[in-house]
Formats: sequence, C-alpha cells, structure tokens
Amino acid sequence: MAIVACSTPPGRSGIAVVRLSGKSALGIVKTFVGGGSLKKTHLSPSLVELVDKKRRVFDQAVITQYLSPNSYTGEDLVEISCHGNPIIVSKIIDLCIEAGAEIAEPGEFTKKAFLNGKMDLSEAESVSSIIHAKSLAGVRSGIKNLKGALSGSVIKIKKSIISCVANLEFNLDISEEDLQPNIINTTLEEVKAQIVVLESLTESFKESQFFQEGASIVLAGPPNAGKSTLFNALINKKHSIVTKEEGTTRDVVEKNFLIKQLPIILKDTAGIRGGQSEAEKQGILKSKEEISSADLVIMFNQKPQKPLSKHLYVFNKSDINTTTDNYDIHISAKENKNISKLKDLIYKRLVGDFSLGEVLLTSKRQSRSVLAASEHLKMASVLLKNGDSLELVVEDLNCCIMELDKITNKTSRDDILESVFSSFCVGK
Amino acid sequence: MKRKTNYAVVVVGGGHAGLEAALISHKRGVKTLLVSMDKKSVGRTSCNPAIGGLAKGQMVKEVDVLGGIMGFFADMSTLQSKTLNMSKGRSVWSPRSQIDKKLYEKIAQQHAKAVGLDVFEGEVVGLNIKKNRVCGVKLKGGDEISCNAVVLTCGTFLNGLIHIGKKQIHAGRYGEERSKGITEFLNSIGLTSGRLKTGTPPRIKKSSVNWGAGEEDFGDKNPKPLSYRTKNFKPKDEPCFSFRTKKETHEMILENLHSSAMYSGKSMAKGPRYCPSIEDKVYKFKQNPSHLLQLEPEWTRSEQIYVNGFSTSLSEDVQLKCLQTVSGLERVEFIRPGYAIEYDFFHPSQLKNTLESKAIDGLFLAGQINGTSGYEEASSQGIIAGINASCFVLNEKPLVLKREDAYIGVLIDDLILKDTNEPYRMFTSRAEYRLQLRSSNADQRLLKYAKEYNLLNDETIETLLHKIEKTEQLVKKLNETSIKPVEINERLAFLGENEIKESQKISNILKRPPLTIKDFKIKNTRSKLLNNFMEDEILFEAETLIKYSGYINRQQEEIDKIKVYEEMIIPNNFNYNEIKSISNESREKFINIKPQTVGQAQRINGIRPSDISILLVYLRRPFHVKQK
Ligand SMILES: Cc1cc2nc3c(=O)[nH]c(=O)nc-3n(C[C@H](O)[C@H](O)[C@H](O)COP(=O)(O)OP(=O)(O)OC[C@H]3O[C@@H](n4cnc5c(N)ncnc54)[C@H](O)[C@@H]3O)c2cc1C
Ligand SMILES: Nc1nc2c(ncn2[C@@H]2O[C@H](COP(=O)(O)OP(=O)(O)OP(=O)(O)O)[C@@H](O)[C@H]2O)c(=O)[nH]1
Ligand SMILES: [Mg+2]
Repeated sequence: MAIVACSTPPGRSGIAVVRLSGKSALGIVKTFVGGGSLKKTHLSPSLVELVDKKRRVFDQAVITQYLSPNSYTGEDLVEISCHGNPIIVSKIIDLCIEAGAEIAEPGEFTKKAFLNGKMDLSEAESVSSIIHAKSLAGVRSGIKNLKGALSGSVIKIKKSIISCVANLEFNLDISEEDLQPNIINTTLEEVKAQIVVLESLTESFKESQFFQEGASIVLAGPPNAGKSTLFNALINKKHSIVTKEEGTTRDVVEKNFLIKQLPIILKDTAGIRGGQSEAEKQGILKSKEEISSADLVIMFNQKPQKPLSKHLYVFNKSDINTTTDNYDIHISAKENKNISKLKDLIYKRLVGDFSLGEVLLTSKRQSRSVLAASEHLKMASVLLKNGDSLELVVEDLNCCIMELDKITNKTSRDDILESVFSSFCVGK
Repeated sequence: MKRKTNYAVVVVGGGHAGLEAALISHKRGVKTLLVSMDKKSVGRTSCNPAIGGLAKGQMVKEVDVLGGIMGFFADMSTLQSKTLNMSKGRSVWSPRSQIDKKLYEKIAQQHAKAVGLDVFEGEVVGLNIKKNRVCGVKLKGGDEISCNAVVLTCGTFLNGLIHIGKKQIHAGRYGEERSKGITEFLNSIGLTSGRLKTGTPPRIKKSSVNWGAGEEDFGDKNPKPLSYRTKNFKPKDEPCFSFRTKKETHEMILENLHSSAMYSGKSMAKGPRYCPSIEDKVYKFKQNPSHLLQLEPEWTRSEQIYVNGFSTSLSEDVQLKCLQTVSGLERVEFIRPGYAIEYDFFHPSQLKNTLESKAIDGLFLAGQINGTSGYEEASSQGIIAGINASCFVLNEKPLVLKREDAYIGVLIDDLILKDTNEPYRMFTSRAEYRLQLRSSNADQRLLKYAKEYNLLNDETIETLLHKIEKTEQLVKKLNETSIKPVEINERLAFLGENEIKESQKISNILKRPPLTIKDFKIKNTRSKLLNNFMEDEILFEAETLIKYSGYINRQQEEIDKIKVYEEMIIPNNFNYNEIKSISNESREKFINIKPQTVGQAQRINGIRPSDISILLVYLRRPFHVKQK
C-alpha cells in the first residue's frame, strides 16, 4: 500500500510538494502523467505534465524518484513538485487515491522510515510521540477544542446505531421467538435520521475544506452579458479580454483570489448560445463541463422558473438596464457597482455563517470515514426497504460503526452485547 | 503404595470437554487415559436436555468436522429436532436437538469402551511438574500416574458450592462430590483463579402437571442431523410444552427475594447475564408481564421434567410456591429443586491460543474451568485441547483455528484476550465474520484441518470433499447459466417481482431477496456418496454463496488485510516497560495478557491503534512483513 500526503504546509505557496511512498508509488504517478513515459531511475528529476482523468493537462510538475532503500522512508518514494495551488494539490492527492494510494496519517512517513531501519533506535521516542500526536492532530491546526465537538456528535450517532444493532441482534442472536413487530420500521426510521446527521457533518467538512483547498466559481451566461468584465472586476486586474462582440471568450480563463481568507479559483467561460464556429462550439462544451463541476455558478441575466441552489443569479449592466425579475443581486461590472456586496454574497453562499471556528471534520481522512459511514447506512436502508436479510443489515450497520470508530474510540463486540443485555430480558 | 502407570496424555474429567479431548487424542494414536470422579457420570449433561441452538449448533457442526462426537451422539439420542431462527438470516439458522440425557450418557460410555479408551475412576488432586513441565497427576489416595501432557476439564467441580436459598451444599453437581486440591495446587505455582456462578431450574414430576394447560410444541417436519456421519436421521418427535408465568408469580417472587441466595445480600460470584435466574428476570425487567417456561422431558417416557426458564436459587419452598401460581402447575411436585452453583475457574488469559498454559508446558485446560458455560463451548475446547495435547506429545505443530475459520476460533481468541468476569457463552454476534461461519459450511471451513491432523476416517473425508466440490460446481453453474424471460417471469410475477425482459444469468436473479434456488429448475446434484441432508445442504450453500457474495467478498478482503498482523510474533520475553509512550493502562493489559501476535494485541479491549503503532516501532518489524 502506498501512502500520499502534501508535505508542504497547507495554504498557498509558490511550490507544493506531494510525496508518495510505497512499492506502487511510481505506478500510481504514471496514471496521471501525460506524454513521455517515466523511467524508473533514482534521483533524476523530470519535468512532466499532469493530466486529469480525461487526459487534460492541469499542471506542470517536476517529478523526482528515490528508489528503495535510498529514500527517506526506505521504500520507493516519489516527490511531485507542483504549483502551490491548493486545488492542484488536492487534485493530485485525489488522483493518487483513485489509483490506490491511501492518505498518510500524520507521522506516517516518519514511522515508515523508522520501521524500515532508516532511523536510529534512539529516535524511537520522538517518533512515537509524533505518531501519538495523531490523536492530537487538532493541536497543530489550532482547533483543539473542536475535537471534542466532533467526537461528541460522532459518539451520538454511534450510540444510536449501536442501539439499532443491539435491537436487531436480540432478534437474530438471542430471541428464539419471532421477530419483534415493527423492528424493521423503527430501525429504518433511525437509520434515516442518522444519515441526515452524517450528511450535515460532511457538509460542514466541505465548507471547511474550501478554506484549505479553495472553492471554484464559474461565471456563466449568454454572450456579451459582461462575464469577462466581472471577472476582471473581481480579481481587480485586466486579465480576461473584453470586447463589444459576442463570443469573445472562447477558452476557460482562470485566476485565483481571496474573499476574506477564502481561496477562490475564478473561471471565465465562453458565453452559451447556439454556437457559430467549431471553436466556439468547443468552448461552449467546456463551459458546460465547468458549470457542472463548479462549487458555485454565477449566472448572468438569466433567471429560470426553478432556480438551482448552486447558482447565484446576477443581473448585470444595471447602470443601463432594469428588470422586474427577482435576481439575487443587481450589479454593474463596468462601473464596479455592488461588487463588494457580491463578494459577501458569494462568501455566504459557499460557507454560510460558517467560520473557521466551527470546523468539525478537519481532515480528509475523517471526512472519508463519515462519507463511508453514511454510504453503509444508505445500503442498510435499502436492504430494510427490500425486506432483505437482517443479518446483512447488521453487517452494514457494523461497518458504519467501524468507520465512525476511526474518528472516536473503538467499539467492541462486548459493547454491543452490553447494550443487548441492558435493554432486553435475555434467556429463557 | 504408588502405582506407576504411564500414559502420554491424561485427561482429567469426563464431561463434554474431557470426553472430546480424550477420544480425539486416543483416536490420533496417542496413549490416553481419562480420569473421572465417577465412571457412571461420564458424558453427563448437567443442565438442560438439549444440544445445539443459537451459535451452539454451528459449534457442534464444527466439532463434528474436527472428529468430535457430540453431534453424532446427539443425533442418536434426539427426542425432538428443530432448526431455530428459520425466519431470520441464514447464517444464524441454528440446529438444536432435545436429547435423551440417559441415552446420551450410555452411548458415550459404550463408545469409549468400544474404541478402547482407558477410563479410570478417581479424583486428581495435584500435578507433578518438573522444570515448568507437566510429568504426571496425583490421585486422591496417593497414587500417581506419569504422563507427558495433562488436560484439565474439571467443569463446575472445583470447590463447587450449591446454593438453594440459604442452604449451602458442597458439591460439583447435584448429588455429586465436589473436587478439592487442583485449585490450591495451581494457585501455589502461580496460576490465578476466580469464582463464577451458574444456575439450573427445578426438575418436576410429569404426573403432577396439568398438561392440557400448556401449549404443545413439536420439532421440524424435516429435521436435520447435527453430524455429517449421521446417514439416516428419523428422530423421535416428543413434544415440549410452553407455560407462562403471571402477575401472581412475579409478585410472589418479589416478596420472597430475600430467600434467594443471590438477593440475600451475601456477596456471590458473578453469574451469566444471558441466562438469568427467574428472580433476576422478574426484578430487572419489571415491565415484562410474563416469562416463558418450557417443560422438556429429560429422557424417553421420563417422569423427570426440566423447567426451562425457571433457573433459580430461591429457597425450595418458595420455588415450589411460585411455580404453583402458574396455570397448569397448581399441583406441581419437585423431584429436586433448582439451585445455583459457585465454582473455581482459571483466568483463560493464562493460556496460549492452543489452550496450553503459558507457564507450564504440557498442561492444557478446557471447558467450564476456563470460565465458559455450555456443553458446546466445553466440547469445542475439549476437541482443540485434545488435538493439541496429542500434538504436544507427538512433537507436531499445534492446531490453532482463526476467527474467520470457526466459532471455535472466536471462542478461544476471546477467552485468551478478554478477562472474563461472567461465564462466557457463544453468540453469533461475537463473530465479526458471522456471514462466513454458517452451520451449512462447517465442512468447507474445517475439512483441511481434519485432513492435516488425521481427525476423520477416509470415507467421511472423501464424502465431504465430494460434497464441497459439488457445491463449487453448482455455484459456477448458477453464475454462468442464463435463463430466458419465459422460463422465470411467471414465477417472478407470482412473487411480486419485476419481470425480466432479456435473458439473464441465474445468479443475478437469485440475488433478489424472495427468490430461492428452488425457483430455478436446476438439475439436481444426486450422487451415490451423498445422503439427502448433504444434497439439501449443497443447494442451500450454493444459494447462500450467490445471495451473499458481495458481503462475503468484502469480509474476505478485510480478512486478507489484517492477516499480516496475525503473522507478526511478539517474543515471549518482550519488555513492555521499555515503551514509554503508551498509556499505563495499555501497558498493564499487554503485560497481563502477553499477546502472542500483533493481531492479538490489536484485539485486546481498550487498546488504541496508536498503541499498536508504537508497539510496531519497538518490535522493529518492517512495515510490510514478507508473507510466506
Ligand atoms: C447447575 C448447572 C447449570 C448449568 N446450566 C447451564 C445452562 O443452562 N446452559 C448451558 O449451556 N450450560 C449450563 N451448564 C453448564 C454446562 O453443564 C457446562 O458448561 C458443561 O457441561 C461443562 O462441561 P465440562 O466438560 O467443562 O465440565 P463438566 O460437565 O462439569 O464435567 C466435569 C467432569 O470432571 C470431573 N472432575 C472434576 N474434577 C475432577 C477431578 N479433580 N478429578 C477427576 N475428575 C474430575 C467430573 O466428575 C465431571 O465428570 C450448567 C452447569 C451446571 C452444573
Ligand atoms: N453598461 C455596461 N456595460 C457593460 C457592463 N458589463 C459589461 N459591459 C459591456 O458589455 C460588453 C461585453 O462584455 P464582456 O465582459 O466581454 O462580455 P462577456 O459576457 O464576457 O461576453 P462573451 O465573452 O462574448 O461571452 C463590453 O462592451 C462591456 O464593456 C455593465 O455593467 N454595464
Ligand atoms: Mg467574455
């Protein structure tokens, strides 16, 4: 198993270094390197293009390999030095995970180094304290107190699931009589309720993640609506070309900027219309892709019957036009009118009233656990609805508990039996 | 005068643990002696007249594949047979037999004689130990028997004390002497023991019951045997009868709680929560208006009836008074009262996963003496201790079952890693790989060990191999054969399922919950070697493997993932005090339990993943252990 992590501090910097350690490291990197093939060589940096799953280039990077045993960890290790953009870093890590890597726990690189004999035994203590710090990961990010809040809510969810399992186990494992009436319905209700709670936790993670990795915003709408003008107004620089003609912007134009600490990656796109030339058609296709993958879409001068929650509807050119339609905001990109109000609105849409002080799921690892936990609950609810076997339901609920255990303390089989014994008169 | 007899293995105790241990060791060609206090009680079922049941039925089948006798003897003495939990998931379907206790004992004793096992009546009071190695047993009266390995299976007998209300009787079981000496001896050489408690209900006279007031309960129409060796299984179907306690019963029990040994304020050893006395049930679950009592015959045409559900240590007159409040039992008479019994057990964390003592080589412990309760739990440990004692004298690699192999593996792993403070009983939910541990695939899971350790005769092995092969073929067929809409749509419509539009693989459709393998016209698997039960089991197994494939595969992945840790050995002399950065609590647990592998260490309650990481650091093991 290979592990991956960004080894430069989170946030924005010139260059970020992503490290990947393990036997399969090079194989994993190859899945997202475009063009020329990478040869397995110790310490000879090569400049490569990084491509996403659709083989589109998203960055250039320098790749350096350290072959086992001559690396920090003692295993094959690959360092990817990319541009210090949180979104790029996140993309690389995601691609690694998709290709089979796991996110490293804090201290795990060092731990491997030690286990592979790359460090002196006398360093054991310091290493183990690093490992130990895992549970205190919050300390470093300054959100120590919040750990309690997170495990508090996870413990609550777990408790409810454990009591569901206890209920089912009493029926499966102990009672020789028929199933308790209603057990399926009550379990289903409870499972559904917990899915909602888990999803709200994931939501809060997504928001906190925006702070770490940035949110993507796409400017979209008909040609000539003033998208590029707004783009330039927001970043406060003449970056995207503005003309009187329709169809000026053909390709996606990107730029990063901050709204109150919140990193934004802003994308200007081609105006959407019937499409004239082949090039414009291609551009429009790209616009649509961007829209679907964006965290937020700023839609110009188009207000549909059913507004989408991901869209912010902007009425531009309010200096020369008026409308009776109900837009989220009226601005003038050209005259810089209401731009800072728009920024507030964007911020609110992305992270709500959320402030860094409320970060609950602070790591990707935790959020993956929560996500997996809620997947298992969803599976369980499908089984319950289909009238499938209860032992399979229990299996999914147990998996959910196991995922949540990764965030809080381990649940043992005895905890479940304990819960059975305390709620039921067991035995003949 | 000292008698000088020489055996390779001496098994102390002729209960279910001892019997399995002695018979398997003997079967493996090792000179074995069974010593028991009373020859006539060898094979006795102390408590209720039933074998199998939830989780236990699975264990009986496992013991059977490992060459044990419990299932086979139970089949021969069945009074009623039933598979429990049929309305629930298929991995928790559990076969159970009501048995004729007297017949079971007789068969067991005759079998021991027939196979030529030496049985000696006597009481063991101590062991001979040289250089931390067992070399003999001491008998009451001074005789000694020398041997290379000992299996202790003393059940509830060590310093046994019966409570009936305030009355106390020194006994190992009602009417049988207790045993004294072994606890004291083992304590003197440093092994630690504790006290546990269990209880049994009264036995009543058949003629004193108004049977018309009870609800009759028969066994299954198509009963299934517990043993693969049983070819024809046409057991009796004697009914049991259900009665119910009522408000008056509960009120009377609560009024007389002070007469109960357990509620009289005396401190007593801990009993099992899953097998509570009637006074516990009434006291702790006041909301339940009534509790079920099942009246079970103890043998054919028996005058003695077992009152399942009324385990108690109330005084005899109160027991009788309370029971007489139940409709139908107004004039009930006792053959003997219910009672609780306290006895010594040895903390099982002092054992290796082979059931051999960590401190004394060649000393094995099995059964209730290890803090378990139940015939099947005893027999499971007996078979393993017997196999491993014989391996010990033959200098062979011991047999260790993994948690994913068998309930027996779960049982032993739990015992050695948990500190019992109540008698341990198996539940299916104790097994994380429950879906894999079905009663219908015990052969598939364990036959390899039976072959390796020579536990079954060639004929049985061949038959089971054939059965396993047939199952695999059937699964393959279901996965590869397509079925046309016309062949199945009528059935689907009947079951309220969506019809299919194009041909589909059978396995695909079989995965839908309401469908069974019988809905498809599969050419049957008939073969000379297999009996009907085996053929049914093949169909059932194949169906299960298809229906559960997703879950079974996921569990398998999990098993493969943690396998490396099971192979990381922690040296016996590993110094936990050296590790500074783990909590004192974890360190203490490590020191007490002395896990043999990192896998075991991980399963100790309360040990955190970070403790394990640190342990790994100190073990200086490369992260990726090379797999053999
Ligand atoms: C009152 C009572 C109630 C129970 N209730 C239940 C129940 O409801 N459900 C359930 O599943 N289980 C119950 N059990 C437990 C079940 O009977 C035991 O778990 C199981 O029989 C234990 O088997 P064993 O082989 O370990 O010991 P036992 O069956 O107790 O056999 C011990 C054997 O060792 C012999 N022995 C002991 N000491 C010596 C010695 N020093 N020298 C020579 N021989 C010796 C004895 O003579 C006896 O043959 C109950 C047991 C009792 C006594
Ligand atoms: N009066 C007024 N004119 C504006 C405003 N915003 C943009 N314009 C003008 O509208 C024209 C088109 O602006 P662009 O920003 O290029 O429009 P676009 O949406 O990017 O167009 P395409 O790239 O062709 O899709 C330019 O002449 C702008 O100066 C505004 O708020 N008020
Ligand atoms: Mg433009």
